[in-house]
Amino acid sequence: MKPKKSLTKTSEEKRKFLAQILKNTGTKIYDELDNGQFPKFSVPSRSVSNIVYDKKLRQYILGTNVSVRSSRNMSQLRSFTQLMWLAFFANRLVNEKKSSTLRDIYYSSQAFEVDFEDQPESDNIIVDLEAVLTRPREDLHIFPEERSSVFGDLTIEYTVPGYEGRRSNLSDHPDGYLIGPSLSSAELVDTSAELVIAVEKGGLFTRFVEEKVHKKFKAIIVDTAGQAPRSTRFLLKRLHDELGLPVVILTDGDVYGEHIAMVIKSGSANAAHLRELTVPDALWLGVWATDIEKYKLPTIPMTETDIKRISDLQKDPRYQEGNWKKQLEVFKKIKRKAELEAFSKYGLTNITDKYLPEKLELAKSL
Amino acid sequence: MSSSTETFDQISPSEFFYRNRDLAGFSNPTRSLYTAVREFIENSLDACDQKGILPDVHLSIKAVDPEKPDPKPYILTVKDNGPGIESKHVALAFGTVLYGSKFGLKQARGMFGLGATMAILYGQITTNKPVVVKSSTDGQIQDEYELLLDIQKNKPITLKHETKEVSKTGLSISIRLEGDYSKAGSKIRDYVYQTSLITPYATITFDDPKGEKFRYTKIVRTMPPPPTIIRPHPYGIDVETIKRMTVDSKFQIPTVDNKMIDKVRSELGLRKKDLNYKGILERAKKRWSSLSRQVRVVIALMSFLKMDFDKLNKIRIDDIDVSNQKLTYWDFGESQSISVDMDPESDYYKQLTNTVQGETLTSFLTKRFQRVGRTTAEKFANFANFKPEKRIGTMTNQELVKLSDSLQKFTAFLSPDPRCLAALGELPLEKGMRNFFNPDFLAVVQRGASAYSGFPFIIEMGIAYGGQIPAGGPKTFRFANRIPLLYDEGSDVVLKVVNETDWGRYKVKNDPPLVIVSHICSTRIPYKTVGKENVADRPEIERELRLALQFLSRKLSSYMSKKGQAEMQKKRANLYSKYIPLVARFSTELAGKKKEPNYQKMLKEISVIEAEEIIN
Repeated sequence: MKPKKSLTKTSEEKRKFLAQILKNTGTKIYDELDNGQFPKFSVPSRSVSNIVYDKKLRQYILGTNVSVRSSRNMSQLRSFTQLMWLAFFANRLVNEKKSSTLRDIYYSSQAFEVDFEDQPESDNIIVDLEAVLTRPREDLHIFPEERSSVFGDLTIEYTVPGYEGRRSNLSDHPDGYLIGPSLSSAELVDTSAELVIAVEKGGLFTRFVEEKVHKKFKAIIVDTAGQAPRSTRFLLKRLHDELGLPVVILTDGDVYGEHIAMVIKSGSANAAHLRELTVPDALWLGVWATDIEKYKLPTIPMTETDIKRISDLQKDPRYQEGNWKKQLEVFKKIKRKAELEAFSKYGLTNITDKYLPEKLELAKSL
Repeated sequence: MSSSTETFDQISPSEFFYRNRDLAGFSNPTRSLYTAVREFIENSLDACDQKGILPDVHLSIKAVDPEKPDPKPYILTVKDNGPGIESKHVALAFGTVLYGSKFGLKQARGMFGLGATMAILYGQITTNKPVVVKSSTDGQIQDEYELLLDIQKNKPITLKHETKEVSKTGLSISIRLEGDYSKAGSKIRDYVYQTSLITPYATITFDDPKGEKFRYTKIVRTMPPPPTIIRPHPYGIDVETIKRMTVDSKFQIPTVDNKMIDKVRSELGLRKKDLNYKGILERAKKRWSSLSRQVRVVIALMSFLKMDFDKLNKIRIDDIDVSNQKLTYWDFGESQSISVDMDPESDYYKQLTNTVQGETLTSFLTKRFQRVGRTTAEKFANFANFKPEKRIGTMTNQELVKLSDSLQKFTAFLSPDPRCLAALGELPLEKGMRNFFNPDFLAVVQRGASAYSGFPFIIEMGIAYGGQIPAGGPKTFRFANRIPLLYDEGSDVVLKVVNETDWGRYKVKNDPPLVIVSHICSTRIPYKTVGKENVADRPEIERELRLALQFLSRKLSSYMSKKGQAEMQKKRANLYSKYIPLVARFSTELAGKKKEPNYQKMLKEISVIEAEEIIN
């Protein structure tokens, strides 16, 4: 399948766009300094009170509260400078087509006399810059260390320096491809797949490759490695938006699994300042609480933390209706949970032979 | 029953101390070496203080055989430039226990000079070597003695006595004693250091056995005024002391012998001239104020006997019966006893009564105690239910107890006279502390005199911050009567007051570079233990300490806030000049410019921002 005219921009367009925003920001501050004014940034407030759920967008967004970070205020001067440095450093990354990681940013700061106490402080400034520019850090070529994988018949074309124009097919390597900076910035060229299956665990991802799920179900398989990193969510969104592929999600049969699916579908509070990370049409296939009884899966009892987590999520506006609400209630009632691996009770291939087809069939009616 | 005669031998003071040397601080080689150093140095400083001499005290400790392991014999020598001790007293002063000149009510480092003798005794016990004393009182001739102490007889044995010519007064004492410098060393060095701190008008040097030399030269050249010996305060008196005082307020009727008659003659200026009895009485009246008490009594007797010196020579006074106004004497010539009447209206009669029955209560109180006037004395008599003219000599034991109790309970006595105290003074304390600690901030205070149970005391305190003082404080140096208190800090009242201070209130943060010097001066320091290293928490003393510390802490606090403001200003200036250029540099590259923006004038504006922020 050829990609549609995508809603999102191509990597190069995006790069140029960001370079322009950064230049504008730099020019504004340059001029203020030159006029003898203390420059400042407007940073959308990320405090809990300013995070609201937007039903239309079907995700969390930031409210209208904005805090001013001024270089005039002595207590803000340091973090202002850190933010300024990060914009400066991101500009270099973007212009030179280089990527960096959260940890790398923290260590790089030391070369510029900009001191961060620790990595959490620098991570926090990165989120500030995302909020100021309303662009995710991945656009700034800054990636987290953790990486998840993708496998399936998908041809991509790299845009990273040295690989420009080179193509790869993501079914060439049985371990899958790391969803890293180069894959994130690559153009999605062609695919024969008709479906994206996101699974929570590396073990099952490997099983799926071995069982040729990608062929049987014409699917691209994505390992989210637990809670999906932003780059993975972004890839899922592109696969959905650019290639028009439906996205289904398989998780463990517990409250955390349910929420992993929810975050892919409608984002997290932590990234409320960002858009373009959600796949509102994504479907959670299972393992549902109701599946546990239906398939007579071996279970383990929930801990108190698990139960508390259910109560917390029951307050979340997204869990107020439909299957999401129902599954939480059942989990709370049975107080037991099941892993994806529980299906191996009925044979190693049971999950791909029986469960998955049944669920996919069911999904059509969802 | 076998005849056994139990003999009660009186033991000599030397023997007593020999048997109880632990009490005096000579329990082991470590402690003994330290105590000996203390005793000798304190004796030297006290001697110099009394004569107003700026002290130069030199201490030296040398091992007899440096190769031997501790404990081992050391030669301890302390040399001073004090008044020295007269040749005839040397042997007794250093060769007997309880021979000293330090009796009386005034502040001194040590009492009775007992400790020095104990050190000598300890040296002799452990090494069997004599003490070597060199003394010069006139700055020309020096007497050198080698003495041993005969412990059983409490008598000195002079082994050697030489004289030689010198150019300075002073005393040098050298003993050999068993000691342990490897253990006592740090304590002795601390002692010398802290003693120099509280005695800034003295030069103290110390050559230690390892060849290290410690020199503390005098920082000030003025000595604090010497304390005066004064009469006791009524609050500080117990029954036993009153008894002793009443005994010496009554005088024995003097034996009228040739010697006494000679004394009367000489006081009247009649050594070579004879007058008749009327002439004698007239002359006595003229000279009354200059006559000694004994002579006055003899004159009074003569007034009733109507005798001149010749006749007086031939009688013996047998009885003076005050209540019946009869005077009885034995006439050797007549070989019979004769009684004469005494006229109770006569002044001479009062003189005799005073002598026999002691003074009246009011006179006893006003003359024998400090700060008691006639009015106070009469009010007291009324309070205690005594007649003001009650004779002290006629009081029964019970009455004396009542008197003593009432003295403690009567609240209208003035507070004790602090003239007997020798505080160091604010200026010398300040100079000493400045020299020792080289701080950024220093404040000292001397509180007014106060008293606890009849004993006057004065608190002096100093506080020093920053400079060369290492962090980790507050460190407290405690002194009592110019003696450092080095050990047993735990339960000390000074430490209690310091530890209970909330330093945060005075803008002092954790582990500050802070030193506190506390000096308690009193005629009697209320030590908690016999070790004399910690002061008990008498409420009056604790209160004075607290007030002194609060006063100084407030000063420190205002220094700290000034310092804090200055630091904040500096920090602010540093912050802006650190970060604004960075912001300029980053924005230049971001904006794609070559030349950096002109931000210099902004840095100058910083002071304006500060003014704004202070207003806000």
